[in-house]
Amino acid sequence: MPAPEIPTLQELKVDEVSVSSAVLKAAAHHYGSQCDKPNKEFMLCRWEEKDPRKCLEEGRKVNECAVNFFRQIKGNCAEPFTEYWTCLDYSKLLELRHCRKQQHAFDNCVLDKLGWKRPDLGELSKVTKVSTSRAIPENPYHSRPRPEPNPVIEGKLEPAKHGSRHFFWNW
Amino acid sequence: MSHQILLYIINPLLMAVFVLLAVALLTLIERKVLGYMQLRKGPNIVGPYGLVQPIADGVKLFLKEPVWPSTSSPLLFLAMPTIALALALILWVPMPMPSPLANLNLGLLFILAFSSLAVYSILGSGWASNSKYALIGALRAVAQTISYEVSLGLILLNTILFTGGFTLQVFSTAQENTWLVFTMWPLATMWYVSTLAETNRAPFDLTEGESELVSGFNIEYSGGPFALFFLAEYANIILMNMLSAILFMSTNLLYNNLNNETMVIMIKTTLLSMVFLWVRTSYPRFRYDQLMHLVWKNILPITMAFLMWHQAILVSFAGLPPQI
Amino acid sequence: MSGSKVKQDMPPTGGYAPFDYKRNLPKRGLSGYSMFGIGIGVMLVGYWRMFNWNRERRRFEMEELETRIALMPLMQAELDRSTLRMLRENLEEEAILMKDVPDWKVGESVFHTDRWVTPLTEELFNLRPREELLHQKYGFAWYV
Repeated sequence: MPAPEIPTLQELKVDEVSVSSAVLKAAAHHYGSQCDKPNKEFMLCRWEEKDPRKCLEEGRKVNECAVNFFRQIKGNCAEPFTEYWTCLDYSKLLELRHCRKQQHAFDNCVLDKLGWKRPDLGELSKVTKVSTSRAIPENPYHSRPRPEPNPVIEGKLEPAKHGSRHFFWNW
Repeated sequence: MSHQILLYIINPLLMAVFVLLAVALLTLIERKVLGYMQLRKGPNIVGPYGLVQPIADGVKLFLKEPVWPSTSSPLLFLAMPTIALALALILWVPMPMPSPLANLNLGLLFILAFSSLAVYSILGSGWASNSKYALIGALRAVAQTISYEVSLGLILLNTILFTGGFTLQVFSTAQENTWLVFTMWPLATMWYVSTLAETNRAPFDLTEGESELVSGFNIEYSGGPFALFFLAEYANIILMNMLSAILFMSTNLLYNNLNNETMVIMIKTTLLSMVFLWVRTSYPRFRYDQLMHLVWKNILPITMAFLMWHQAILVSFAGLPPQI
Repeated sequence: MSGSKVKQDMPPTGGYAPFDYKRNLPKRGLSGYSMFGIGIGVMLVGYWRMFNWNRERRRFEMEELETRIALMPLMQAELDRSTLRMLRENLEEEAILMKDVPDWKVGESVFHTDRWVTPLTEELFNLRPREELLHQKYGFAWYV
């Protein structure tokens, strides 16, 4: 088979979000609601195309939004945010419930300065529709065409004269 | 490389050393408690308050000449005490105190499996001694241990229904609001009785029934090998009590207060072990048929009934824990 | 016999007064029924608190899962890019390694299909130090 096409390193170059897991987790809920559109767009593309090479552009947008998001936090609410994720980092298994106080301070700051509201419990896991301009891909699995249906049998079909040959108790 | 040595050699060794130290002090405290309950002093000569007594005992035991019965099976006879102690120490691996040696996902199953393996050391030692007293003692001990393991497993299932996982750490998050002793005190008492029987303690210490069995499965053992059995038995006692403390009255594993948590869990373990000793001073031995009837005809049916009941109310009142 | 001077100890006429030889267990503490009731009550309160806490724990679990849902596109995009990047690097390395072998097609797919096949982790890390593969596979497991 021919070699699969793989994009060059130049095409894959993006501003990566280089933050640790505690930071990501601390910002996750706000991130989910702020970058909703590019995220959904990317996931839909990924789901429909079944091919990471075709969703690079959407992925780039996701990253761009994420970088922007973290820049905004850094510009406006750096201090409470740092406190929040440090608290998470020091808790076992990064559980959110251990840091409600810091989370509250961070939420308030974000609400005041940026107008971001924390999504309610269950809002991020809802099933959503996404309106997109991308065309729906044809045959994402590269399946072979369906075989022709068998031709209709001509002639008269009758039950076998002595019954089935597969078993013998069909008298 | 150095951290691997630390992780795989130094840490387990440290754990073993401290478990054995705890065992030594448990034997001392047992003699002290028994003494005071019978209005006498207990060991108080060797060292301050007799604190060095267990070490003196250990030195004496290991200096004695071990007797090797000439008709015994030498390999099994030597291997069984070793295996008993090794299993008793391995059991400590997944115990969260509050950080376990190995963070096992299915820690409870690990503990159940390895505590069942301990039966083989009893059976093997009784058989390898080639003495009818040892053999009958071993048979009794094995029958008792495996019977009570059934009820232990079923009670564990009950607790798992409420906590939602076989991980031992889950028990601490599940009991942040209420201890499980309050929720299921009948099961907790049955668990405690079963741990008494599982570790062959009074009033279920028929294996050591003196009049008819002389000393039970370890009658042919003396000196060092006997000391190994002894250590294994007491390590199991502490472990079972710690497990009870974790299962039924575990505390919050506070994320920034780990040292405190270690103290708390150890105090609970010690208190439960003291109750073991209290029971030993207070109650007469069970008869063997009564012992068997207690588990098969009382504890087991009640536990099964509770299992069904708990399934039903957990589902119908939407109290199921998160399935991680 | 009748003239005997010995005075025999006999019970007083009419016999001794009845004395209390019956088992005497003083009633103390609560009655059995009330202890039973208290026991059941403790269990019920325990169930109630346990159920409430378990519901609360389910809410915590939902919250934790939602963080992963929210972060999934970011992670997926990053993973896709890193996979493709490693494949590209492997291709270039392969071209250098196999340049002396005649009829070697660089990056030839082993699958008889054009669809995208997600490469195995082993395949990606084949030309790299073993530590990196181990780190990728077991580096972030928090339990055994």
